[in-house]
Amino acid sequence: MIYEIAIRTKKGFSNSHNVSLLNDIKIMGIDGVENVEYFPVYRIISDIDDKKVSVIANELLTDRITEEFSISKYKTSEEKETEKNSIEVWLKHGVTDTVSESVVKAIKDLGITDNVIVKTGHKYCFNGSGITVEKLNKIAKGFLANTLIQEYKIR
Amino acid sequence: MTQNVKIIEIINLDDKQLVELSKTNVLSLSLVEMKEVQKYFKNLKRNPTDVELETVAQTWSEHCKHKTLTGNIEYTEIKQGKKNITKYSNLLKETIFKATKELDKPWCISVFKDNAGVIDFDDKNGVAFKVETHNHPSALEPYGGSATGIGGVIRDILGVGLGAKPLANTDVFCFGLPDTKYSDVPEGMHHPKRIAKGVVSGVRDYGNRMGIPTVNGAVFFDEGYMANPLVYCGTMGIIPKDKCFKKVNSGDLVLVVGGRTGRDGIHGATFSSVELDKESDVSAVQIGNPIVEKKVLDTMLKARDLNLYRAVTDCGAGGLSSAVGELGEKTGVVVELEKVPLKYEGLKPWEIWISEAQERMVFAVPPEHKNEILKLFEKENVEATFIGQFTDDKKLVLKYNNEIVADMDMEFLHDGVPKPTRTAVWEEKKSVRQKKIDVDSGVLTQDIKNVLADINVCSRDWIIRQYDHEVQGQTVIKPLQGNSIVNSGPSDASVIWPCAVVKNTDKAIVLSNGINPEYGKTDTYKMTASVIEEAMRNAVCVGADPEKLSLLDNFCWGNPNKPEILGSLVRATQACYDMSKEYSIPFISGKDSLYNEYSIGGKTFSIPPALLVSAMGVIEDVNKTVTMNLKKEGSFIYLVGVTNNELAGSVYAKIKNFAEGFVPDLNKKESKKIMKQIHKAILDNLVLACHDCSEGGFITAVSEMAFAGELGVDIDADLIKISDDTMSLPEILFSESNSRFIVEVSRENSNKFEDLLKDCCYSKIGKVISEPYVLLSSSKSKIKIKENIKNLQEAWQKTLQW
Repeated sequence: MIYEIAIRTKKGFSNSHNVSLLNDIKIMGIDGVENVEYFPVYRIISDIDDKKVSVIANELLTDRITEEFSISKYKTSEEKETEKNSIEVWLKHGVTDTVSESVVKAIKDLGITDNVIVKTGHKYCFNGSGITVEKLNKIAKGFLANTLIQEYKIR
Repeated sequence: MTQNVKIIEIINLDDKQLVELSKTNVLSLSLVEMKEVQKYFKNLKRNPTDVELETVAQTWSEHCKHKTLTGNIEYTEIKQGKKNITKYSNLLKETIFKATKELDKPWCISVFKDNAGVIDFDDKNGVAFKVETHNHPSALEPYGGSATGIGGVIRDILGVGLGAKPLANTDVFCFGLPDTKYSDVPEGMHHPKRIAKGVVSGVRDYGNRMGIPTVNGAVFFDEGYMANPLVYCGTMGIIPKDKCFKKVNSGDLVLVVGGRTGRDGIHGATFSSVELDKESDVSAVQIGNPIVEKKVLDTMLKARDLNLYRAVTDCGAGGLSSAVGELGEKTGVVVELEKVPLKYEGLKPWEIWISEAQERMVFAVPPEHKNEILKLFEKENVEATFIGQFTDDKKLVLKYNNEIVADMDMEFLHDGVPKPTRTAVWEEKKSVRQKKIDVDSGVLTQDIKNVLADINVCSRDWIIRQYDHEVQGQTVIKPLQGNSIVNSGPSDASVIWPCAVVKNTDKAIVLSNGINPEYGKTDTYKMTASVIEEAMRNAVCVGADPEKLSLLDNFCWGNPNKPEILGSLVRATQACYDMSKEYSIPFISGKDSLYNEYSIGGKTFSIPPALLVSAMGVIEDVNKTVTMNLKKEGSFIYLVGVTNNELAGSVYAKIKNFAEGFVPDLNKKESKKIMKQIHKAILDNLVLACHDCSEGGFITAVSEMAFAGELGVDIDADLIKISDDTMSLPEILFSESNSRFIVEVSRENSNKFEDLLKDCCYSKIGKVISEPYVLLSSSKSKIKIKENIKNLQEAWQKTLQW
């Protein structure tokens, strides 16, 4: 089973990623983007049950004061069609993912001894009236993904 | 041979095919070198394996062998139409090393022969310092490249002698202009601002997680670094004197400790010898993991103190190939590559051997300590694996599943690289004085704010405050100084008091640096002299003894195959020799990074030559250190040193858009005298605050002192000692002449201070006032300036707030 855990900043707390990215987009001269929301995303590949995934999200990956999490079952690109105006960035296959190494170790420290593979990614959701795929491509290449080691998908 | 190893046809190739083979396999070996390899294997009557060819390429890489600086150079200097030719057979040995050797300082413990330079700290301890560059990886992947840059130099400190404990990190960067138009960035490259943000984040995340404070640095912006940033990372550490040397014995076991080996970083060493282009090798990028390195650090120091190993070095460029090869150079070694722990399956033997996967150290362990050292690493959850044994046949033998995949003589590997003669040329350029600059009070006030706001002068607090500069609790003088977080100015140098490591000591360690590629665009000799003196001045400002400093050189240059570029490098090394001898301060370590060029679409971008000089010294009494912020109303302001008409390459020249003028020169005798007397004044507790004049000139430095101390100054500019009576006021205020210090001295100590400086050029130019203004007047120029220090501080702080 593949789960995706997305971590979101709670309303009322500022997220410096969002502020900084919006600023960079403006400096780059791209208009039409009014708001950006950034989420770290963790893909958990394992046979563990939903309860354990929830423990991992709650105990390990979320700062419960400022953040909240959501868990979804992995969706293919086609299934994600409804999530418009977003960019997902993941490390390319074979690139060392040190954050995932730490997460795997910490999952063991939580007492979950099942075999777990973790992949870490980033998701950015954009709001605005003038957002186009071309603009999102420019943003992804300009700030969000280093295509040497990462791949990105626009939805 | 099995499918794991390929035999590479070389002995029957012609010249064209040899060049092609080098290029296709990213070996970065020249035709002459390829022919030498061909000759060696012809003598053996066989072709090499891929493992052997890769091993030669790593060992002979510019990164590992410094072939340019240690090679033959014919240098032609053209002055006033006359040619003068000098031949060097080893530029480093005949300039920088030579000075250190001739100075023969008894307090130098280990210089130019290990992973870092080591000098005396006290009777029992030495202090080690090393600065490295990680330019090409940072151009491709700024975060990962810079993180592994700092991770690598920390391992250099762990790998000096039997291992030093890191106490502080330094970071110096050169980036392209952050306001570069996105459309001007070459295809396949990152925007300079993205590079800058990524590099800062990488150093921050690695350094902070290692629990090592980042205490000193600099940032320089220039369009010449747009496609090729420079990322210098340094680490200083403390080491017991009886652990300063290593020795491998035949029979010792080869132990690899730390991170696992993957494909990351393959060809990093040879990659550093090629120009960057959009097709640059993906696998040359390394990814760091500071958590693993922190565990290695803590555990290996325990093993060191238990005398469980006889030698250690880090896996840097060239990976195991370089690390094991270096340790086994005088003995020989057999390694069983299948024993190396891997991140994932599928690596070929040559990939295992040259991978630059991070966080790995290699040890030579006496067989009797085999179990004990394994147990220690295991207890601390650090992976440690024996992979081979040092022999006595002076051969490198590599096996993979019992099959011999490499068998070469150490002598060929380490001494076999041919030394072709390179041509270097330098032609003197005539400098002319800039047109006279006359401005009124309003324009001058705005000019002062513009200079303070310039990208190469403005506050770096956005960067500095991301770093932990206090962890370990030993940082006495920090990168920003002042009365509060809001009101601060740039510290000249940092001071570490290693009280947690060396109990009951009053001694401290000062770290400073000097860099200014702007001057190198005109003359790299003067640039070098200026940055060496700047590094010294910075250290002296906080209390260092100028006669007990040691220096590190880090050259970042363009393609040395171009005679003019190599000529400018020769000039810089000559200046290093002259300065080192004149000031009697040795260079103790250094590194060069060449081929900093970027080609795309047929156009070549070459970086402006950059020399970073880092200074380190031991301060006898940590209580006698000084900061730069003004302290006391009513005290006097002195400007020590003479102001010359030297504005070429200055920040003011950039702002006013003129290219003429003279690059700052150096009166070495006067400079020595001034630094010595300033140091004496600090030792006699006569100095309340001290700051050097550098980028932006006198007016910039005095403004920084004022807003950092939340006090004003009243300056009579006509009292400033100048060498040329025709200088206009802006030329005086913004000149970047060397050897100048602004010193705050209390009224009661002014006579003593003046007495100390009686043989130096100085003037009492004003006083500290309680009103928050910089007041500056010149009756000669009919100028009066009154500017609130808050406005000056705002100008200084606003530019770099990303």
